Amino acid sequence: MAKASKKAVVAIPKKSFWTRAYRQRALFLMALLPVVFIFIFQYVPIYGILISFKNYKGSKGVWGSAWLKPFYQNFLTFFKNVDCAKIIWNTLKIGTLTLLFTFPLPIVYALLINEMRGKTYKKIVQTISYIPHFISIVVVCSMLHGFCSLNGFFNDIRVLFDLERVNLNAGPTNFMIMYILSAVWQGVGWGSILYLSALTNVDTSLYDVANIDGANRWQKMKNIAIPAIMPTITIVLIMNVGNVLSSDYTKILLLQNSTNMEATETIATYVYRVGILEGRFSYSTAVNLFQSIVCFILVYGANAITRKLSPENSMW
Amino acid sequence: MARNKEKEVKSKIYIGSRTFDVVLYILMGLLSIVFIYPFLNVLAISFSGNSAIVTGQVTFFPRDFILDGYEMLFEDENIFQAYWNTIVIAAGSVVFSLTLTSMMAYVLMIPDFVMKKPLSIYLLITMFFSGGMVPGYLLIRNLGLFNTIWALILPGAISAYNVFVYRAFYKGISLDLREAAKIDGASEFGILARIYVPLSKALYATFGMFCVVGVWNSYMPALLYIKDKDRQPIQMVLRRIVFANGIGAMQNANDMINNGKLNYLNVQYACIIMTMGPILLAYPFVQKYFVKGMQVGAVKG
Repeated sequence: MAKASKKAVVAIPKKSFWTRAYRQRALFLMALLPVVFIFIFQYVPIYGILISFKNYKGSKGVWGSAWLKPFYQNFLTFFKNVDCAKIIWNTLKIGTLTLLFTFPLPIVYALLINEMRGKTYKKIVQTISYIPHFISIVVVCSMLHGFCSLNGFFNDIRVLFDLERVNLNAGPTNFMIMYILSAVWQGVGWGSILYLSALTNVDTSLYDVANIDGANRWQKMKNIAIPAIMPTITIVLIMNVGNVLSSDYTKILLLQNSTNMEATETIATYVYRVGILEGRFSYSTAVNLFQSIVCFILVYGANAITRKLSPENSMW
Repeated sequence: MARNKEKEVKSKIYIGSRTFDVVLYILMGLLSIVFIYPFLNVLAISFSGNSAIVTGQVTFFPRDFILDGYEMLFEDENIFQAYWNTIVIAAGSVVFSLTLTSMMAYVLMIPDFVMKKPLSIYLLITMFFSGGMVPGYLLIRNLGLFNTIWALILPGAISAYNVFVYRAFYKGISLDLREAAKIDGASEFGILARIYVPLSKALYATFGMFCVVGVWNSYMPALLYIKDKDRQPIQMVLRRIVFANGIGAMQNANDMINNGKLNYLNVQYACIIMTMGPILLAYPFVQKYFVKGMQVGAVKG
């Protein structure tokens, strides 16, 4: 009986696909422009990846250009390049070292903020800590450049310790320090937002119970706050590990100079230099594709782990 | 006895806790200074005389107040042209982004739309695959958009992530409103413009701001696609001044630097202030929207 009535209800609106499509023609019209935009600006470049297997000539277009023999020639060229290992190593090194600092510090910062009792003071501290996030990468790098120069702030500090003024913009070690320092400065406050919003959801009765039991601040943090943000920590870590190869190349390009090239040439900056500046379109697209594939595997792997650990947080 | 001991332990915890509070307050205060000091130092030095800068005396406030850094900057760089370019790009991006994203989100929100599933997949694919730098560059060249502001406006106009956020927001608006409007003879475009847009003001304010701040702060598209100096946005001017020896081309500034009247930092920091000034002025007003956006993003993964 129930089955029959359900069938009857479903049967009424079941018109043929074309009838329904005709009735919804206004919706088709509305979707047209966005769909065309996505096609041109997102799908056409994806199709353009094909040139990594071809000898791309602008006059012949993507399809008309001849296939390479063998079609994976560009990948061979990259792996045989003397700089290949160094470029991949640099990419990994910058990614991991940055992760090592930018991942744990926001957690510590969030826990400290959570311990603050004065509401107004807490709010002011938080608001100030978000400011660096809103500053463009060019401004941040320009500030670094100024601070590292002979008359800059970092050299003023060196003078306090009886060290002479030197140009801190030079050399691979200085680059690494500045890159990580600025990433931490920009990201600590902003990164703590995720953890703080998890901490505000903690049941306050847990704290009441802990107070009755005479728990001290450290014990409360260890047994209430940290377990509360543990899921968030896991997700952020996994997502960051997935992105370890995609270093911020816009920042590296700005800080890059002839004295730190050894440490700053990463896959993405190499693609920019070889592809855009030298015009080797096919080859640089191949290098970029290699990075995308490795990235995809990392993100996919990271997500597979997330799905195992906490299915509700995985991305797909 | 036992009770006394218990009291002692409790007061120890209390004192420990108070000390912790004081240390924590001082620590957080110092950290806040670390976050804000670079801005103050840059501002102070941009107004300070050369001798004070060279001897490292400038910290929080300007010394030997001068304006020459700004004067020299304005003499050789058309900052206001760059501002104008940036504003035009930002306005264009907001218009295209909000319009296209709304239209896409609206059709995907309608439960019985026949193309709902295929179009969702069509969008989803773009979240996982992208052409990368060079194919995008070649596309802009082939479309004839190279060296025009359209190259900075059109490519980023619609993103799958934004469409899905808009759709989630639209889903909070009762479909009965749409049915009622339909019975009254409203068209789909009319329903979107007269019902959904007015009811989503918070959404548009937030995404409009994301868009403007994003455009203001980005330089990579301009580096790739804009060659003419007078079409470049503000970030490219700063990049030229600091990283491409822009001061080297300023005759008067160079003379003053050689005479010891001006420090190269005066000009560089003046340019930094001009570039981030508008963002910092807007910060108190837009900050809370961004924080909210971050929290929403966290919930959605």
